[in-house]
Amino acid sequence: MLSMTSHNLEFSRTGLDFVACGCSSNASYLVRNSSKGVLRRVKYEYGARKWLCFRRDFGSCRVVSTKTPEAFVNVPPPVIELKTESRNSKSVSVKNLFEIVADDLLVLNNNLQSIVGAENPVLMSAAEQIFSAGGKRMRPALVFLVSRATAEFVGLKELTKEHRRLAEIIEMIHTASLIHDDVLDESDMRRGKETVHQLYGTRVAVLAGDFMFAQSSWYLANLENLEVIKLISQVIKDFASGEIKQASSLFDCDVELDEYLIKSYYKTASLIAASTKGAAIFSGVDSEFSEHMYQYGKNLGLSFQVVDDILDFTQSAEQLGKPAGSDLSKGNLTAPVIFALEKAPRLRDIIESEFCETGSLDEAIELVKNCGGIERAQNLAKEKADLAIKSLQCLPQSAFRQALEGMVKYNLERID
Amino acid sequence: MMSMTCNNLDFSGVGPDFAASWCLYNASFDRFFIRKRYIGGSRGLKNGYGARRWFCFRKDIGNTEPYIEGAAPIPAPVAEVKLGSTTPISLLNLFELVSDDLLTLNNNLQSIVGAENPVLMSAAEQIFSAGGKRMRPALVFLVSRATAEFVGLKNLTKEHRRLGEIIEMIHTASLIHDDVLDESDMRRGKETVHQLYGTRVAVLAGDFMFAQSSWYLANLENLEVIKLISQVIKDFASGEIKQASSLFDCDVGLDEYLTKSYYKTASLIAASTKGAAIFSGVNSDVSEHMYQYGKNLGLSFQVVDDILDFTQSTEQLGKPAGSDLAKGNLTAPVIFALDKVPKLRDIIESEFCESGSVDEAIELVKSCGGIEKAQALAKEKADLAIQSLQCLPPSSFRLALEGMVKYNLKRIE
Repeated sequence: MLSMTSHNLEFSRTGLDFVACGCSSNASYLVRNSSKGVLRRVKYEYGARKWLCFRRDFGSCRVVSTKTPEAFVNVPPPVIELKTESRNSKSVSVKNLFEIVADDLLVLNNNLQSIVGAENPVLMSAAEQIFSAGGKRMRPALVFLVSRATAEFVGLKELTKEHRRLAEIIEMIHTASLIHDDVLDESDMRRGKETVHQLYGTRVAVLAGDFMFAQSSWYLANLENLEVIKLISQVIKDFASGEIKQASSLFDCDVELDEYLIKSYYKTASLIAASTKGAAIFSGVDSEFSEHMYQYGKNLGLSFQVVDDILDFTQSAEQLGKPAGSDLSKGNLTAPVIFALEKAPRLRDIIESEFCETGSLDEAIELVKNCGGIERAQNLAKEKADLAIKSLQCLPQSAFRQALEGMVKYNLERID
Repeated sequence: MMSMTCNNLDFSGVGPDFAASWCLYNASFDRFFIRKRYIGGSRGLKNGYGARRWFCFRKDIGNTEPYIEGAAPIPAPVAEVKLGSTTPISLLNLFELVSDDLLTLNNNLQSIVGAENPVLMSAAEQIFSAGGKRMRPALVFLVSRATAEFVGLKNLTKEHRRLGEIIEMIHTASLIHDDVLDESDMRRGKETVHQLYGTRVAVLAGDFMFAQSSWYLANLENLEVIKLISQVIKDFASGEIKQASSLFDCDVGLDEYLTKSYYKTASLIAASTKGAAIFSGVNSDVSEHMYQYGKNLGLSFQVVDDILDFTQSTEQLGKPAGSDLAKGNLTAPVIFALDKVPKLRDIIESEFCESGSVDEAIELVKSCGGIEKAQALAKEKADLAIQSLQCLPPSSFRLALEGMVKYNLKRIE
């Protein structure tokens, strides 16, 4: 029995105001039975009224953090409609980078909504919780940018439907992994909003994740390209391996940089590398080329993960949209910590105590900052970023190639 | 952070008695195993060179006995178990023909799942050893062999074997997640994975197995089979959603029930039998017949399961009796009974808020012929399954496939 904790879903005929929330449905609908917390179907007469759902916290469905200068753009709505001033016109903004594929991203959003929402409105709400929670659609944007950058190269006029489908598959896999990840980490917040399992319960979270993995596998199979099927299946396997790797090395101060990079590859870079390589494959470029795109994606992904790990130390909870220092507090030892452990033996003791003493977490964070852990991690991020830029050399100059380089730089600017 | 509730795992140098428990490993000791009762508990017990062998054993290891009559628990190679009478059809006899194949399968599964992480292995072992009959892989092997003879194939191919492993991993992964979704505590008389190890390990173990099977599937490099099995995984998710959103819904019709049963059960079995035929290289007519065989066997199997939920005791079922109904999952016997007994509808729609109402509902279902009509439905599907086997040349394998259908029906005689 699926029990739904629908704190934020109420149903009334409030009209079209909330259509943008993606929750509208005129099919038979699910009503919370508060006595037993069971989902049931409410049937409609012919000529049914339209039931819309709205969220009590609808106000926060929009852009979440206005303080972060590197405007984490909220998609949906379409990126180009948001007029966010860039604080410094020299700094790269994600919005600018994505503008050249804005239409592609719009189509993607609509398709994703249909794919996920068609099955069941509750799933749609669960997916919407995460789809709209400030996700930048970075991975699909990369697919589109690489597709377009390589398409010109081989004389392809437009994106193929395989390109588009690939991007949808990638974003579904990414979203599904986030939903399950939050269950595995017991995280309550993501990007300033409650996680799916916090809001709807673990079971809806598991089911929503399973459904999206299943959908993406099915679409993947129907792309009928064995190379891409194997590429993406490897990613899904890597995700699971990465989770296991992370879970089994919590609080383990002997974890080395290599191991950290492998885990980061499994959890983050693998998917991005498969996105960029897959896009190249569907453009029909030769294998050397698609290998360069793979390296670009992989190093961008690693750089991205290292930066994320740095920000967990340097940003506030408000900026992060979740508690600061949460990696460390959960025993997940990332680049800054690994570097700091080389310099500060005391840090090892604190970590191995698993922060049982109050204030020890803050002490650990200070130690990491004081002994150069952050700086060395920044170097690592830059090193991977340089490798990514190098891999783009094979592409002819174009606005798309510029944007791909821009992605690398945008990422580094997050830690400037 | 994963917290493990290892209620039944103790660690001591107990020796080879428990090797069969599949928990044997001598790698560096994983902190996963230790329940965090206190900070600084056993951590990172890395073994030095020449490590000691750690064994884990289960307090309840004595309990791995058969629950369903005639079904031998596996592991223990099937051929070694000596059942008495030869007249009633027993799964054992049916599986004997492919017992070597099943043995190889068990070993391979152990490597695939256990290699990654011993905790995952324990979680998988909890369910692998919980009386599972390995019915689906057995079907893959039986169809493979039945069709192999047909096309002059001498032996099973490695694709056949891999298909059997993939199918069993998908099945197992779905059971683990299913139990999380249904909040079930018991399966086949043992605690469910999430009950024992926590939801998070259950989710991770299920995800890992789905991921592994997708990867192996992709590397079979057969687009038709890849699409076939991907459809199944999609159907599983759809079936769960369908079931969850129609709980306590007395308007659910027989067709909807059959669709849901197809998604949840028959789809995988149909894909197993068809996939096996594809790898034997038979023509599409034959593989389509194999699909129909699997589908109808699967539907018949599900209907019988649903009948047994009413007619068997908790002890026989290995989980509380009448649990489908209690959770609002309305199956064939109930759907038929609802046609006859309006009172049943009221009770169900009250969601059994009054004590004793589940028992009353069960009685109503039994007394107005719900069971009998469901039995007729099971038989109808079984007949269709047998019919689909006609295209196969007679062989002991074809007989075994027919035997599977009959074995299933006997469960409700």
